[in-house]
Amino acid sequence: MKTLIQFLIYLLIAVVVIVLGIILGDAASWYFAWLVGTVMIVLISAAGGALLDTQEEEKNKAG
Amino acid sequence: MINDTVVELSRWQFAATALYHFLFVPLTLGLSFMLAAMETVYVTTGKKIYRDMTMFWGKLFLINFALGVATGLTMEFEFGTNWSFYSSFVGDIFGAPLAIEGLMAFFMESTFVGLMAFGWQRLSKGQHLIVTYLVALGSNLSALWILVANGFMQDPQGASFNPVTMRMELTNFAALIFSHDAQAKFVHTSIAGYVTAAIFVAGISAWYMLRGKHIELAKRSFRMAALFGVLATAGVITLGDALGFVGGNAQPSKLAAMEAMWQTEPAPAPFNVAAWPSQSEQRNTWALQIPYVLTPLLTHTLTKEVPGIQEIEAQAAQRIKNGIPAVEALKVLSSDPTNAQALAQFKAHEKDLGYGFLVKRYAANQDVSLATDADIAKAAKDTIPEVAAIFWTFRIMVALGLIMLAYFILAVIYTLRNNVQNQRWFLKIAPWMIPVPFLACETGWLVAELGRQPWTVYEMLPTWMSASSHSVGYMVFSLTGFVLLYSVFIAVEMYLMVKFIRQGPDEHPHAPAQPQTGSGGAYAPAGVMMKREEN
Amino acid sequence: MEAYLILKVLWWLLLGVLLMGLAIMVGMDMGVGTLLRYVGRTDTERRVALNIIGPHWDGNQVWFILGGGAIFAAFPLIYGTAFSGLYVVMLLLLWSMIVRPLGFEYRSKLPSAGWRNAWDWTLFISGFLPMVIYGAAIGNMFRGVPFHFSWDMTSYYTGSFISLFNPFAILTGLLSLSLSIYMGGAMLMGRSEGALYERARSAVAFGGGVAVVLFTIGGVWVANMQGYQIVTAPDPGTAQTPLQQTVTLADGAWLGNFRSHAILWLVPALGYAGMVLGVLAARTHKPTLAWWLGALAWIGVIGTAGTALFPFMMPSSSNPSQSLTVWNSISSELTLSWMTGWAIVFVPLILWYTSWAFYVMRGKVKGEAVEADDHAY
Repeated sequence: MKTLIQFLIYLLIAVVVIVLGIILGDAASWYFAWLVGTVMIVLISAAGGALLDTQEEEKNKAG
Repeated sequence: MINDTVVELSRWQFAATALYHFLFVPLTLGLSFMLAAMETVYVTTGKKIYRDMTMFWGKLFLINFALGVATGLTMEFEFGTNWSFYSSFVGDIFGAPLAIEGLMAFFMESTFVGLMAFGWQRLSKGQHLIVTYLVALGSNLSALWILVANGFMQDPQGASFNPVTMRMELTNFAALIFSHDAQAKFVHTSIAGYVTAAIFVAGISAWYMLRGKHIELAKRSFRMAALFGVLATAGVITLGDALGFVGGNAQPSKLAAMEAMWQTEPAPAPFNVAAWPSQSEQRNTWALQIPYVLTPLLTHTLTKEVPGIQEIEAQAAQRIKNGIPAVEALKVLSSDPTNAQALAQFKAHEKDLGYGFLVKRYAANQDVSLATDADIAKAAKDTIPEVAAIFWTFRIMVALGLIMLAYFILAVIYTLRNNVQNQRWFLKIAPWMIPVPFLACETGWLVAELGRQPWTVYEMLPTWMSASSHSVGYMVFSLTGFVLLYSVFIAVEMYLMVKFIRQGPDEHPHAPAQPQTGSGGAYAPAGVMMKREEN
Repeated sequence: MEAYLILKVLWWLLLGVLLMGLAIMVGMDMGVGTLLRYVGRTDTERRVALNIIGPHWDGNQVWFILGGGAIFAAFPLIYGTAFSGLYVVMLLLLWSMIVRPLGFEYRSKLPSAGWRNAWDWTLFISGFLPMVIYGAAIGNMFRGVPFHFSWDMTSYYTGSFISLFNPFAILTGLLSLSLSIYMGGAMLMGRSEGALYERARSAVAFGGGVAVVLFTIGGVWVANMQGYQIVTAPDPGTAQTPLQQTVTLADGAWLGNFRSHAILWLVPALGYAGMVLGVLAARTHKPTLAWWLGALAWIGVIGTAGTALFPFMMPSSSNPSQSLTVWNSISSELTLSWMTGWAIVFVPLILWYTSWAFYVMRGKVKGEAVEADDHAY
């Protein structure tokens, strides 16, 4: 049941994002690009930081 | 009667205060999102080092932020104090984004920045993370509305002149905020801020690594900044091209000046890599050209003609002649708003009203009906902005952008191999890269705003008419005041920045949860203090 | 046309709300700045005072920025005319305000006593001066300001800088200052203890007491002053410029609205009630109540000024017929409609998260805690 609710919530978010994307993509394509781009830049940068921790741990294990 | 010296001084004052304000804004735009990224890692992995990072860079963020807020106040005042005709002429449209900026963005940014600095002990991890994101979002939304307003000056969409109220009025709000110029400009500027922050963080981190200080913090900061920066730089360049394309369609005179194109050349036209433009002779003394490149670069086609400066000037002369009756009709309508004949005359010439205003400056008694052909020729010449200045500032901006891209690609390569700390030559260069994005941002502003001349609102309102009718003495007084105050400000800010960068992050290896920025401690009630120690 | 009339009045009211918000929130922070050297005798006490408003001053300042933005967007002609006409005063206001963020942020970053002392003076000036100018600007609207327009609506200001500091404007400036001292004191009382609390409490009594006296003198003065009256003008609900009306001066005209609608006397009564009861609340150690009563006092005082002037906003003393009113200086119907939409969405949101921020930071600020944390203001 909990999984189902979570699934539905995520589905809803996905639908909202897609609809927003279609609307914004039409009238405000560059604003939309900013939104997507910023989220991407922040997440990739954050993931890069986390990856460094993994690399360090591996190096410590190896050495 | 407006004094030319006063207009000149008002322009200098506005440019100086805007460029100065723009020294602090880009870092705020970018660093706020970098803080959010760092804190995201802290909240998801729970590793304390990321909290130290957020706090340390947050402290530098706040030193910069204070000056951004302070100098931003000046900008809000200056439209009214120095550009009063402009303000009442387009306030109906231009004021709205500024007011919405306050409502939607600035309130959010400023309220939450207090909680970001002071709320470390008072908020849960998740709450604090949301607060940090809201600060970042708020500051960038703030930029959004300012650039919507600026987009209107560059390409006035969604408005028309109302002869009853003698000003421009809003006709279509959606056209105003979704103007392509505003959109491309916002994304270009906001992401330029990301690049600025990335170079700032990377440069300082490299400086630490070079000295073997704060290595763990520096390595992680550098990694995040490099990735943040490389993506952002790519984005800035893409959007720069888009802005050139959009702006080129809207403002042919700016485009022609940026490329120093005096004559319309058959497509595909050659591209001037470097040139020495002479405004008086209307030609390039010398030019280094690449054939065929200009047309695809600017129009994204091979066949579309790009109009040259001489052609634009000739068209302007025609439009000035056509605009004169519009101004004459307006004068009648001003005292007799229902005069049908004047209204019909106005309607017939409405689209060239701005050009009619342009010649008012040279006509005897500033009465356009007395304008001679020589006056019209002078006004037509005015429609061409300063070619050499725009051509070169544009090239400097582009060159700096490409240098930053190369720098970040190298940075990413080194950091992903996790051996940037051993590339000493690169670490030595990195701190020297810090001024580069600031310079690029300033030149970008210059290209955009010098290229808009002689208009404050493109083809609608000339700059010379927009200024307030002050005396020279007033202008000297205000300019002196700004120079004195702003010199002290920058000295104090740089001093504190350098001091806190040298001091580096506080490291508490045995008490990792100590607060390092803000004054959360000052607020922590006993219960919270206890909890902090349990951490 | 009716819709436009309603929007015009609505935005006049909204501007009033913003000016009240500005006076209450920014005035409070500026009151703390004015009082800083009085309530804080030691460095620690001063830091406590600063940290009490530390998390909030920046958000509060947006009331000021939004006030400016709203005048620009909703009353562009007033924004352009007033800001350029009062050039030197506006610059003094601006310069004293822009040193304030630095005062907060930089003051305690260095331990040097000279450095901190210099910033304390800066904070004093940036608390004291803007409030006097704010009040004096409103006072000058009663007297009228010498400006006129040419046919194309270029505004020309013909007065001198010094004439803006006439006795009545100084009186209203001091009234504004005393209310800001009151509010700063009330805020400090709520979050401090000991000597600081006691000094803040006496500041509330002083500010409130002076405000009652000045408000009374001001009222008598206004009753006997020449006011402005519209003789002929286009219909209020139509689009118009100030070039199409005639205006005369008449003794006691500023009380016209009160005479025709006696219920409006409640507005100044509200101001009095706020000031008097507020001082009593402070005396009986109820800082929160005193704060809210102070806010009420501001609402009453600014409401009184607005009611007296309505529909005038910025009368011209040199060419009264070109006086700026709600009807002839406001934005277009479309702009006002859009702005109303944005305000309906965002104003409640702003009030909600501002209250949340105050809630998060509730409680007393302690000297030892500020000293122990070398990153506090």
